[in-house]
Amino acid sequence: MTSAPFSLRFGRFCYLAFNVGVVVFLLAPIAIVFVFALNPTPYIQFPPVGVSMRWFEKFFASRDFMNALWFSLEVAVLTTVAATLFGASAALALARGRLPGSRAITAIMLSPLMLPAILTGLALFQTYVLLDVGRPTWGLVLGHTIVSIPYVVRTTLAVLHNFDTRLEEAAQNLGAGALRTYFEVTLPLTKPGVMAGAVFAFIVSFDQFPISLFLVSPGHETLPITLFNYLKFDLDGTIGAASVVSIVLAVLVVVGLDRTVGLRSYAEL
Amino acid sequence: MTIIRKPVNRRQFLAVAATAGAGIIAAPHVARAQAATLRITGWGGKWGQTMSAELIPAFEKEFKCKVETDTAFPFLPKLQASSRSNPVYDVLHTNSNEQWAALEMGIVEAKIDPKQVPNIADVYPYAVSDKIVGVTIFTSAIGLGMRTDKGYGKVTSWKDLWDKAYDGVRGGYVIPVNSLGQAFVMMSGMLYGKGMTDLDAAYAALEKVKPMKLADFTGTMEKMILSGEVGLAVIHDSGILRYDGQNQPTAFVAPSEGVMALEQVLTLTPGTKVRELANAYVNYMLSPGVQKTLAESVWYSPANSKVKLDDKYNDKLLTTPAKVATLIQPDWKWYNAHKDEIDSRVNRIFRA
Repeated sequence: MTSAPFSLRFGRFCYLAFNVGVVVFLLAPIAIVFVFALNPTPYIQFPPVGVSMRWFEKFFASRDFMNALWFSLEVAVLTTVAATLFGASAALALARGRLPGSRAITAIMLSPLMLPAILTGLALFQTYVLLDVGRPTWGLVLGHTIVSIPYVVRTTLAVLHNFDTRLEEAAQNLGAGALRTYFEVTLPLTKPGVMAGAVFAFIVSFDQFPISLFLVSPGHETLPITLFNYLKFDLDGTIGAASVVSIVLAVLVVVGLDRTVGLRSYAEL
Repeated sequence: MTIIRKPVNRRQFLAVAATAGAGIIAAPHVARAQAATLRITGWGGKWGQTMSAELIPAFEKEFKCKVETDTAFPFLPKLQASSRSNPVYDVLHTNSNEQWAALEMGIVEAKIDPKQVPNIADVYPYAVSDKIVGVTIFTSAIGLGMRTDKGYGKVTSWKDLWDKAYDGVRGGYVIPVNSLGQAFVMMSGMLYGKGMTDLDAAYAALEKVKPMKLADFTGTMEKMILSGEVGLAVIHDSGILRYDGQNQPTAFVAPSEGVMALEQVLTLTPGTKVRELANAYVNYMLSPGVQKTLAESVWYSPANSKVKLDDKYNDKLLTTPAKVATLIQPDWKWYNAHKDEIDSRVNRIFRA
């Protein structure tokens, strides 16, 4: 057996080094957050002087942080449900509905991604003020849903684009009605795209800052807003602990989806 | 043990989800149905904790009302976006620079009627001077914070900040977004020019004070001093004094030229529908008991001259007419009028 030529081995090495560099670049900030959260000093210090859970204790003992965490989860779940239902339905209509101007409608559906979210937040705030509804939770969920829908539409459209419509036709030829065909053929086959969009929607909502900045109401603040207000006055490891909790929650969502629908289906997208 | 899994069909699931969702979404409306709600702004951190745990509940009990405190910045854009006749806040609490900006927009009232707020009679003159919109309830002193364990020389003057010994460990703020940084611009004009409005002198001084480590927030600067990343920095006294008793090698220096005032100011919004309650709140915040509680909680100097603090606080805060006389009040009306020009110039100075 002859070994690969030097240029090929060198190329592979460079490729591997580049990939390792990208992974390190992506994960280094997370590692720093963990170090900050576990370091006992009330400021960022390298090298760390020890390991302490004091910032986690402070985070979990704080009524403000806990309320914000649960409220963020509540809003993220509602946003995920709303964005998934609306986004997946819209994608289906756009792909199959033979709608006049479907390209323009698709562009409009994706437009919240083009606008600075802070302007969307301000515009919604002004709308609610004009309607005299205050800053209700449903208003915040609506704001998060608007910026989450494009992700669901995009991922669902990606699946529908490669979808073999003959499967639906076969089901209908065998006597299935439109609804039955949808639930038993279309939905299972588009599930990877829909679920990927749902994951994006959850994360976009849970981390949402610019929209929430204008739409949170007193006593109902999301975690990113609470963290921002906190770090204006206290920059200590509690911020790191809160970040770690957020990362763990995001990982749990992914793991949960893996257990329910399987991560492999996302990889196929 | 046998686990029986009872399948939930789609219709049942949707019914439960819809009911739960509607309940969650409707909750704020139930809360809003209560009468006499005072909507205010406020700080987070220790201030927010003291207010929400102790002072706001006492006010609500005394005046049989509900207080909604918005601690989520930014306050001015929200107030500006809301109707003048139905503002999102009844009382605006911000630093003085933002109050002047709010007055310019017409979203707060210039002064508070002393007849409606009797405690105004007891405040130091600076709290209701022509440099103030509304009324000051507390002030901090902007001076210099330093490390005491690095062998630096004795610091007595603002000009010590320009000493080459502090190159690499000098701390300041991102001027366009931080009022301490903006106060420092005015102080630079005073130190090296004809006064706080001498911008040419200020710009020349800022060129010479580089290199300077810049922070967005005062909380960040506190940590930079605590970690030793910064040895001498512009900071307000409470940012150093709040670590009193924690054996930190830090000290606050009130420079001989005077300290700049960092005022906590309350104003009323023109369209408030609970004016009586809003005035009562301002009066409450100026009452000696509340002033003492907050001053000793967050190390802010009380504006009410009748307040008696414990010795530990009395020694270090601005609690006598002589100490109050060292306060220099920035001219925020002038500064705001020149802010765009100043922002543009200082960005160029510190970018280079």
